[in-house]
Amino acid sequence: MADAMIEFRDVTKRYGNLVANDHLTLTIRRGELMTLLGPSGCGKTTALRCLTGMNRPDEGRIYLDGKDVTDIPTHQRELGMVFQNFALFPHMSVADNVGFPLMIRNLPKDEQAKLVAEALRLIRLEGYAAQYPRHLSGGQQQRVGLARALVYRPKVLLLDEPLSNLDAKLREEMRFEIKEVVTRLGITAMYVTHDQAEALALSDRVAIMNRGRLEQLGTPEEIYETPNSRFVAEFIGLSNFLEGRVAALDGPVMRVAASGLTIQTPSLPDVAPGRKVLLFLRPNEIELLPAGAALESNTFPAKVEKATYLGDTMDYRLTLGEGAELRVQADARHRYHPGDSVHLRWPRVRSWVVTE
Amino acid sequence: MTLLKAYLQGLRNGWFVLGYTLCVCLTLFITAPFLMIALRSVGKGWFGRLWLPPQLTWDWYRWAIEVGNIPEVMKNTLIIGVIAVAVSTVIGIFAGWAFGRRQLPGKELLMAIVLLPRMIPPITYALGVAKIFYTLELVDTYLGVAMAHVSVCAPYAILVLSATFEGLDERVLEAASVCGANTIKRFFYVVLPLIMPGILASMIFSFTHSYNEFTLTLLTYGPHTVTLPVRTYLAVGDGYWEITSAMAVIMVVPSLVILAMIQRRAKPETLVGGFKGV
Repeated sequence: MADAMIEFRDVTKRYGNLVANDHLTLTIRRGELMTLLGPSGCGKTTALRCLTGMNRPDEGRIYLDGKDVTDIPTHQRELGMVFQNFALFPHMSVADNVGFPLMIRNLPKDEQAKLVAEALRLIRLEGYAAQYPRHLSGGQQQRVGLARALVYRPKVLLLDEPLSNLDAKLREEMRFEIKEVVTRLGITAMYVTHDQAEALALSDRVAIMNRGRLEQLGTPEEIYETPNSRFVAEFIGLSNFLEGRVAALDGPVMRVAASGLTIQTPSLPDVAPGRKVLLFLRPNEIELLPAGAALESNTFPAKVEKATYLGDTMDYRLTLGEGAELRVQADARHRYHPGDSVHLRWPRVRSWVVTE
Repeated sequence: MTLLKAYLQGLRNGWFVLGYTLCVCLTLFITAPFLMIALRSVGKGWFGRLWLPPQLTWDWYRWAIEVGNIPEVMKNTLIIGVIAVAVSTVIGIFAGWAFGRRQLPGKELLMAIVLLPRMIPPITYALGVAKIFYTLELVDTYLGVAMAHVSVCAPYAILVLSATFEGLDERVLEAASVCGANTIKRFFYVVLPLIMPGILASMIFSFTHSYNEFTLTLLTYGPHTVTLPVRTYLAVGDGYWEITSAMAVIMVVPSLVILAMIQRRAKPETLVGGFKGV
């Protein structure tokens, strides 16, 4: 691909019997912020370490800006990286930390000073140049880490769970700050995290990994709204799952038989009646109606089993059909109680089906 | 009720006073010999049951320096100390790196053997060392005595430095690589500054051990390699208590200087642990 900045081509990395990366092929475009998202042990960190050169893949090649870097040592790869534990040099001042990559590259002193000042301005820590990392808060330390990674304008910026050592409020602030800095500099970035909220908020595209393989690749909207497997749907946001079989196909409308009900869903290409499918429904897409209302299409009677007050919403567990369980989050202004009979309704296009 | 409270309070104060008194007594007990030696080294005509010397003099120091040949002995002690520190530190850096950074097979056993000379009675170990050194003709050489000292200094260096290397954060080193530093630059700009406190601590430990070492020196020294502790011991045998006291005071001075340096410059935990990241 012409505009590819980072390319994993068929990368496999094993640790003994464990396959950490299983024929991973992934392309990150120039100027794009791509997130590798997945649970711990999914291989995202291994992929990152293969890219930095701290791990050597057993098979496959890695390209950086069109150049094969698989056998090039870490220090020659021209990368910038932000670490989970900040990994600042404790014996150096903030200015020396930020200036380290420039000092290593033997830039003239005055140019070093200029670039360091610029980088410190970028992260709004101009007044801290002479301080030592141990005197800074976690958020400030991570901003120093970001400045150190960016100061020499590397080809790509790598971020390894940069926010997980920060508290929740700071995490959100830093999320915006990282996004803004990366967008302003137009740098290609690869962001590794297990936090789906971070991934959705930050990324141009998200790569979801599972057991060393790429599970789904797409924009945050695509992976949230059209997950292509149960794993992705479970990992991103809350989801209800109903197992069923295709009952009938009618142009854009498909009827799925699940739990004794016939549910209308969007159509799938190339399926025949009788095919096993899995239906996803987000809990906040389902509408709760009082029992007794006229039964429209895609409306089903159900029974409230549990109701939990969450402040702005109510969280219900319901049973419908032949005992299928659904979770629904609805406006807290209308309350239903355990034992109540209700009707559930959702728009056909807000449900999602994959073949199993 | 208030009476009982006051009584209990008084009791608690009583324990406190008792503890404090004992502590002060212990301090006196520990410092008294020092005072005694210091006084004896400057006292003249101090015999019998007198509590204080009747006359003061610096003569014993002159005698110690001229007759006891202290400058020569001090030179021997320092040369042997420097060799022992240098060898121990080099061993400590390499062994500490290996012990601290990797899970080596038989690590515990190796460590136990390395610490053995400190655990068994020194005279037992020293006898063995003496036999080997006589065979190797290392007795009465600076290198020989220093190598005997290394057997007790190096274990300390290894202990201190492996703790230092263990405390070195792997990801800080990775960060240096990503920033563009090759192995050599990484060592000089990142690793060395971070392990420097550990190296200094290990050097101070090694030096004080070599400087104070008696048993091993006694069995490996010769006319050319008399050290301060041995010289002082020999003077005791000669029966000149005043001169011996003067030597003992001279011997203590460098230790006190080092102690003052450590107290002023660094806290022990930062010396031993190195930096644990941030």
